[in-house]
Amino acid sequence: MENNVILETEGLCKYWGGLKALDNLSLAFHDKQLHGIVGPNGAGKSTLLNMLCGHYKPTSGEIIYRGESISSIKPFEFARRGIGRSFQKTNIYTNATCLENCCVAVQRLMGGSFNFFRSRYSQKMLDDIATKALEKVGLAHRRDYIASQISYGEQRQLEIAMVLATSPALLLLDEPMAGMGHEESQLIINLLNTLKKEYCIVLVEHDMDAIFELSDQLTVMVDGQHLVTGSVDEVREDARVKEAYLGQGDEVY
Amino acid sequence: MLFKKRAERLFMWVFFPLALLMPMFLEQNEYYVNKLTTIMILSIFVMSLDYLVGKCGLITLGHAMFYGLGGYLFVILAPEYEAVNFWVYTFYICAISAAIALVIGLLVLRTSGIYMIMITLAFAQMTFYYFSGSIDYGGTDGVFVYVKPETSIFGLSLFDLDNPTHFYYLCLLSLFNTLLFFKVLVRSQFGRVVDAIQVNPGRTTALGYNIFVYKLMSYVVASALGAYAGYLFTLQYGFVNPSMLSWTTSGTALVMLILGGIGSIYGAILGTITYEGLHYTLEHWTEHWMLFMGGLIILMVMVFKKGIAGFLEDLLEKRDGK
Repeated sequence: MENNVILETEGLCKYWGGLKALDNLSLAFHDKQLHGIVGPNGAGKSTLLNMLCGHYKPTSGEIIYRGESISSIKPFEFARRGIGRSFQKTNIYTNATCLENCCVAVQRLMGGSFNFFRSRYSQKMLDDIATKALEKVGLAHRRDYIASQISYGEQRQLEIAMVLATSPALLLLDEPMAGMGHEESQLIINLLNTLKKEYCIVLVEHDMDAIFELSDQLTVMVDGQHLVTGSVDEVREDARVKEAYLGQGDEVY
Repeated sequence: MLFKKRAERLFMWVFFPLALLMPMFLEQNEYYVNKLTTIMILSIFVMSLDYLVGKCGLITLGHAMFYGLGGYLFVILAPEYEAVNFWVYTFYICAISAAIALVIGLLVLRTSGIYMIMITLAFAQMTFYYFSGSIDYGGTDGVFVYVKPETSIFGLSLFDLDNPTHFYYLCLLSLFNTLLFFKVLVRSQFGRVVDAIQVNPGRTTALGYNIFVYKLMSYVVASALGAYAGYLFTLQYGFVNPSMLSWTTSGTALVMLILGGIGSIYGAILGTITYEGLHYTLEHWTEHWMLFMGGLIILMVMVFKKGIAGFLEDLLEKRDGK
């Protein structure tokens, strides 16, 4: 199991002034596994994701991707190395069709982005690959809809499709089910269950049922610190986790 | 299809044939031919600004810097009493302006919004004061162009630049090519990334694009074309002076752009015609033309929220819907 580690963090810290948003975090993420991250608000989950995709620079510590430190490379280079990211707030091109949204992603892989003259509308191969990404998340029927006109749940699916269209090795998903109804959540859960057979997924999610169902590895964070990492069952039984979530029971109310 | 909207196609079919025939209607009236030539030149300038502001979301108040540089580069480079080749100097001026834009862009594009407006303005004012104060380049009087370039390519001379009608057609051709170039650029794969950056820069970075490079290239291209417009202007009037570099030139271009419709490319022409038309009419009617002009512009911006181009598009689409 140790040999298929894709991404590691070593003593990762992020300070905002005096606030320790993330303190000395060392984690390993494995290929073809879904690694869930849970914790109360302010535990540093989003900060962690933002650093893993290059959005924030760590104050100290290393991010190691396939054995190479990538802590100091530029944000766009993270995506070029195969680290795909979906955001907590839906982050798509709302004025364009779903197909065009994915085409932007595919074009980055296929090249031609510095071509001043070749029309973007005559790229059959590019369109086909983008369509395949939409099919993968079950959005093929929305291909020619403007992204702002599809439902919120579908927009989240679209964002995942865009990330998949860059053919990443690693998916960082920040609360993909936030604000979704039960049925929509179930769609995403099914989708993630399929995707984790192919990709390494790091999932931050508040929906506990979903994360217990999906996770192969689960990390609990509290106040920017790592509390426990293990299988779902191990985490469920861990006394420290109960304490963090439920309190010690000796507070005076 | 390059021109997707009905309003665009209508514009192309009405404007260019009309502009092509215009000198025939005006026959010997040189004044109007010159006036229309200036409108063509300004349209090129405003169009290059539209690409920056409307398509790339880079709001600049220093675009006049390249307009003025186009003129000054010509008088700096060309020998005073010798006719140079127009096309060769077009290449020189565009290439040097592009190089200058590349260097300035590296600094300017690190900022955005109001800060970018301020920094572009600062660069433009620096060049403005440099040329107003320079003895070599005539200070505030500027420099005269005594000999206009000749336009032969492989021995074939199509335009005589001293002939206003010829010069008019050269500017019309330049405007047509600029419009076509920007339309192709917007539609291209490069244009796809530029669109993506304007709508959502964060997402575009997260997809692996180095958005700075795309902004820089857009800035360089638009600046070079702005300089080309300034070069034409200098050749038309036979002089260059610092007012071309002034921030009011940038400001006026922005007003023309807003009138015409930001981001529509062809709206730049509509805006320039409207502005210059109003200017001409009011100027001949009253001494206080600026007062009325200001009022009319406020009124037009309030009525045509997306500019004249946007208004036309809505009008034609509504008709389609029925």
